[in-house]
Order: sequence, then structure tokens, then C-alpha cells
Amino acid sequence: MRPQRYNALTSQYFAAAAGAGVLEGARVGRGAAGSRLQGTWVQFDLEVHNERISAARFLAFGCPHTIAVCSRVTELALGREIHASLPDGIDSLRAQFDVPVEKLGRLLTVEDAWGAAVAAARRRAEA
Amino acid sequence: MSAIVYLDHAATTPVDPRVAAAMAACLTADGAFGNPASTAHAYGGAAHSLVAKARSQVARTVGAEPAEVIFTSGATEADNLAILGAAEYYRSTGRHIVTARTEHKAVLDPCRELERRGFSVTYLTPDRRGVVEVAQVEAALRPDTVLVSLMHVNNEIGVIQDVAGVAGACARHGRARLHVDAAQSVGKCALDFAGSGIDYLAVSAHKAYGPKGVGALIVSQQRAAQLQPQSFGGGQERGLRSGTVPTHQVVGMGLAFEIAAGDLQGEGQRLAALSDRLWRGLEALGGALRNGAAERCVPQILNVSFEGVEGESLLAAVSESIAVSTGSACASATGEPSYVLRGLGRDERLAESSLRFSLGRPTGAADIDAAIGAVGRALGRLRRLSGCRV
Repeated sequence: MRPQRYNALTSQYFAAAAGAGVLEGARVGRGAAGSRLQGTWVQFDLEVHNERISAARFLAFGCPHTIAVCSRVTELALGREIHASLPDGIDSLRAQFDVPVEKLGRLLTVEDAWGAAVAAARRRAEA
Repeated sequence: MSAIVYLDHAATTPVDPRVAAAMAACLTADGAFGNPASTAHAYGGAAHSLVAKARSQVARTVGAEPAEVIFTSGATEADNLAILGAAEYYRSTGRHIVTARTEHKAVLDPCRELERRGFSVTYLTPDRRGVVEVAQVEAALRPDTVLVSLMHVNNEIGVIQDVAGVAGACARHGRARLHVDAAQSVGKCALDFAGSGIDYLAVSAHKAYGPKGVGALIVSQQRAAQLQPQSFGGGQERGLRSGTVPTHQVVGMGLAFEIAAGDLQGEGQRLAALSDRLWRGLEALGGALRNGAAERCVPQILNVSFEGVEGESLLAAVSESIAVSTGSACASATGEPSYVLRGLGRDERLAESSLRFSLGRPTGAADIDAAIGAVGRALGRLRRLSGCRV
């Protein structure tokens, strides 16, 4: 029995947290945003082949919504073209996970970490 | 829900079946359902007798006289009645109150209301152990101080304050009355109201295996403590708390208190051993910081902050296995971490990532081991998820 403040999708992704971890390699770009002191910190590792994401991992210090969204993002990203905005978009993710408006800042941290990882992956590809 | 280990007895306790049975006998036509004020007939007389017995049981448990017991709807109402009632009664002699930042909202909010009415309030900060020293209270007293309000057992960290020492300071001052919120005390500590020097003592039934919705304010007659009533209409409870006395509620409270007082020492020793087992298990998980001075805490309450995890996720991760409270209030209306833990000097993150384990009569060693296991699994998972090493 989880507290009622999370919808089923949030509970499912928070519990499983698939996609957690780190990636290593020449094709991996890493980006992070937020801070533990502020309560939310997120890191994404993206492995890119031919402009498409072949692997994605995350680390997150944050609330269940933050962890669930990060997990979903790494799942959605696989096989997609690399793009600075979050797979499915922040508004759609917020709706899917029923993220309360006061937590919007945490989703923006997820988006910032994603954007930083995409930029790092592109730099790796160009190098 | 039975698979979830309940370790939130400081929030509330299940009603003892003996108490529930006694209450039920006051509700229906074949029981003592009469109005206890209607003593002109047998129905009212029967209820009156039960209320009188309950008053004696409550008084005996806290070391007071039955006539000093004013039944209320709970400790919150008792706190409000004491603070607002005493401040207004003694208003002509002074308008200064002393309390602590770590008090329950049932004390802090009436104090804020008094500030709106022109009183000034000094909010003492406890030391890092959670203790308010008598010297702090003494130093805060002013010639115009009319009331000191300090809780006996803190509801979040379990620290026992030296209320007898504070009563001494109030006595030396001469004018300051002492109110003590003892909502967490019954069944955890022995109380001796008569010998304590306390003027007003607030107690609650549902923290001691009694029903919700009933409590009492003990008002010292020996010390001639006075109050201005805060509600009107009927003049029950010596005119200090109007309204029909709910026989079933006070009967439940009386019996619950009598049972709680019956095995205070034995139960205290049993829970102290379990609390020690819990703390040793949690400490071994790493990054566990105990809140409140162990040597000053009741064994029923253990509050621990955990490093390297976010508070809301910690609570969510353990909530399938154990029912505990948290220092995190992320999802609450305030969005603020525990003001009690912040008052002890914990930073915001550690205040949020704290769990209050409160043990009770049904708690056994298997529950403690289950709790340690659940917290260990949650910490391990969340720390891995954040790449945090502790």
C-alpha cells in the first residue's frame, strides 16, 4: 500500500526504477542538473549511434515523481533520434505521472539534465 | 493492512478491546446512554456515575484530584483552553508568554493568536539534544510573564523536558503559571500532577489506547489556577468547558488510562529493549543520525535522520512494509520540513529524510526486525539510484 498521492504509473516506475545506473564509453554523453542540497539532482548518460539513442541510464536524488519520470524517459529514449527536449515532452510526462504543479521545478531539473546529456553526447560525436 | 508493521503509535493507538467494550455499553438503549447532567432520573444517574468513575481514573493516573479534571474533546482543545484561558484571565497582570519552538501546533497556534491579541511571546530554542534547559526558561521570564507553556514529552523526538525544574522557576518568579502539554506522556512516563507545581496539564486519550475525540485539562486547585472559559452554553465541567459530557468517550479514556498506568514500568522496560534493538539495527545501516538525546527520550519514540536519501522517496519506499511518520512534509500544505528537527539544528535535507518510529503495546521483536529490513532495503535502493555512497 503506497501513499495515495502517487498514481499507478508513478508507483510502478518508482518501484521498478528501470534504467537506473551509468554508462561508460566513447559514445556516451553525460549531463546533470540540480543539487542534492536543494533536494533534486538528476544525471543522464546517453549512448548515441548514428544520431539515435542506443542506451540511456539515469541517477536521481529526488522524490518518487522525479525517479519515476527519469525511469520512463530512459525507456522512451531508446531508438529515438537524439533531441534536446525530453522524449514525449515535459507537459505529457507531467500529465502521465500526475505530477503536482508545485513539483514542476523538479521536472525542469530532469529536462535540464537531459539537455546537458544530449549536448555532451553531441560533443562526443563531433570529437 | 495487517502485513504492514504499525510503528506510528505517537500519532495514534488502536483502542484497547476492553476500552471499546466499555464504551459500547454507554451507547445503546440497554446501556448508560443517559445525559450525565440529567441526574434527576436513573438514566442520567447511571451515566453520571460512570463519568465520575472515569474522572477518578484519569485523576489517579496523573496524580491529581478528580475535581481538577476538565474533560475536553482532546489535547488540542485542552491546550487552547489552558493557553487562551489563562492568558485572558491573567491579562491584567501581564501579557508575556514563554514557550519553545519545538512545541506542538496545538500550543504554537494559540500563542500566535495571543500575539494577534496584543501579547508578546518568547519562543525558546532547544539545544541540539532537543532539551530546553530550566535556565533558558528562567532567563526568558519577565515581570509581565503570565504563562509558560512547555511540553512534557516531545511528539516528534520523544525528549522529556524537565517540567518540574521549570515549575520551580515559575514558582520563584511568583506570577508565571505553567501549562504542560502531556499528550504523549500517559502510558510512557509516571505523572505526579499534585507534586509537580504544574498549573495546567493537557492529556489525550487516543495516544494511550483510548478513543479519539476526548482528552482533559487538569487544572490545579491546590495552586488556585484560574481560567477564562473559551466556550459557553451549559456550564458543564465547572463552567470551563460547556457541552454535554460524552459518557462513552470519557469512560473509554478513564479505562484506557487505568490500563496504561497499570504496567508502566514493565511495558517501559520491554519497549526500551525493543527501541535499543531498533536503533542498533538502523545505526548499522550507515548514515543514520539519532534526533534527540537518547538518555532523555522515552523508549516509545525513536527519530532518525538518514543521510544520502530524499525524504519523500524514503517514506514512499518503506510505506509498503512499515507505517511510520516522517520529518518530510513535501506533500503537505506547508511544504516545509519538520520545524522540530529544524529547531534542533538539522539542515533541511536531514530534517526531511527523517523517520519517526513510535513503538507501542502490540510491537514485538519481529516488528522491529521487519522495520530494520525495510529501511535497509529502501536506503540501499535509493542510495544506489542516486549514486550516493554513505
